Amino acid sequence: MANIAAKRVKREIKEVMKSEEIMGGAFKLELINNSWTELQGEITGPPDTPYESGKFLLEIKVPETYPFNPPKIRFITKIWHPNVSSVTGAICLDILKDQWAAALTLRTVLLSIQALLSEAEPDDPQDAVVARQYKEYPSIFAMTATHWTNVYAEGKKAIVDYNRRVQVLLEMGVEEHQARVALSTHNWNLEVATEELFS
Amino acid sequence: MGFDIKRFQGDVDEELICPICSGVLEDPMQAPACEHAFCRACITEWISRQPTCPVDRQAVTVGQLRAVPRILRNLLSRLCTSCDNVPHGCTAILKLDSLANHLAECEYNPKRPMPCEAGCGLVIPKDELAEHNCVRELRALIATQQGKLTDYQQELAEQRLVINEHKRELALLKEFMRAMRVSNPAMRALADQMEREEVVRWAGSLARARVTRWGGMISTPDDVLQMMIKRSLSESGCPLHIIDDLMENCHERRWPPGLSSLETRQNNRRLYEKYVCKRVPGKQAVLVLQCDNTHVDEHMMVEPGLVMIFAHGIE
Ligand SMILES: [Zn+2]
Ligand SMILES: [Zn+2]
Ligand SMILES: [Zn+2]
Ligand SMILES: [Zn+2]
Repeated sequence: MANIAAKRVKREIKEVMKSEEIMGGAFKLELINNSWTELQGEITGPPDTPYESGKFLLEIKVPETYPFNPPKIRFITKIWHPNVSSVTGAICLDILKDQWAAALTLRTVLLSIQALLSEAEPDDPQDAVVARQYKEYPSIFAMTATHWTNVYAEGKKAIVDYNRRVQVLLEMGVEEHQARVALSTHNWNLEVATEELFS
Repeated sequence: MGFDIKRFQGDVDEELICPICSGVLEDPMQAPACEHAFCRACITEWISRQPTCPVDRQAVTVGQLRAVPRILRNLLSRLCTSCDNVPHGCTAILKLDSLANHLAECEYNPKRPMPCEAGCGLVIPKDELAEHNCVRELRALIATQQGKLTDYQQELAEQRLVINEHKRELALLKEFMRAMRVSNPAMRALADQMEREEVVRWAGSLARARVTRWGGMISTPDDVLQMMIKRSLSESGCPLHIIDDLMENCHERRWPPGLSSLETRQNNRRLYEKYVCKRVPGKQAVLVLQCDNTHVDEHMMVEPGLVMIFAHGIE
């Protein structure tokens, strides 16, 4: 790995360790290997959002050309959000693409992703299905996101009704995540989801 | 790219850190409006990808970058750093502005050029000295030199071919001009001039000769002797259009009035010293060319010059 990238990452990790965010538990950052090319981040869902109290793992890959090119970051933890693919975890965030600047750090990027959880940008979506629900059925979106946070990110708030509907499909022999995706996609309409799954 | 911050004694002010490489600023430059400072190498690399300030994304080009203020440079130069060669045992602590000078002379520098003391005279990096073998190095040197020599020889051979080619073309061209000048006066003048210049060039290529014993002159050389002289002239590059005339002028029957008989020769002997003589390579003979001897009296000279053959006495 290029010298400059390794030095930057080392220093950034040190910086994050000292920062208040670690103290306050807002996020974590740790190395996956010793070549400084792969890291794992963890951000906590912001309060007063459907992601509250959830713990979201992020895969962080630092390119050789860092910081001249941005780090590649995706959600490992499944999340229901207009700017994150519910399938791959890919994130649509301008600073990870053409708005990247060499002075940005892993810390500032993690803070930006956290901010994205507080304030989605449905007009620049990564996941079209989620974005449409966000615009057309905001309350269903909020409950779906809360449900996913509860199931996949250890969020404390359960949506009992949604759990029940997933259970119905489970009893019909559908795999759990498949059932949840089908229901989430069809605004929790059990009939439409069933029809899609068995057609 | 900047200096590793761990090399410095004490804390380094955040302002002296490059936001791109996170090292201490090396050869810093700043953006014109926002005055954010970066290492020159770092900011140049960034702008080549995107012409903006990496901190606030204001538009910046390489041409707009400015030197940082003196105060910032002073702060940097006062920082105390360890030497690059700490891993090789250097314990020096230096001001940042004297680091470059120290590195040039640091005796712990594993790459410092050292002359071989074993006698081969080569200068080699210090860390290669232990492995160094004079014979092997010199052999390698000879091999590369030989390679070069072979290349040069080949090049020389190729150049010779080219020159021969040119000579052939030139001869053809002269032939052409000779044919042309019969009908065209302008061409005649041009060709005459070319021929004159050719003679002058040839005369210039010949070495000066000194006659020590004018009495050794052979005024009636036989045919064999004449043939030998003619061959030598031809090999020296004598222009073809004068060679026959010149050879005619090696016998007293064609010599000018001042030289045509033993009697006149004896009368004019003191004038010989005025001749500018040229060596006929390898022979006891000299050329007294008209173009070299415009200062000589008419009765002592003929066109295009004289050939004087001697029994001995040419230097
Ligand atoms: Zn700036
Ligand atoms: Zn730098
Ligand atoms: Zn040193
Ligand atoms: Zn030697």
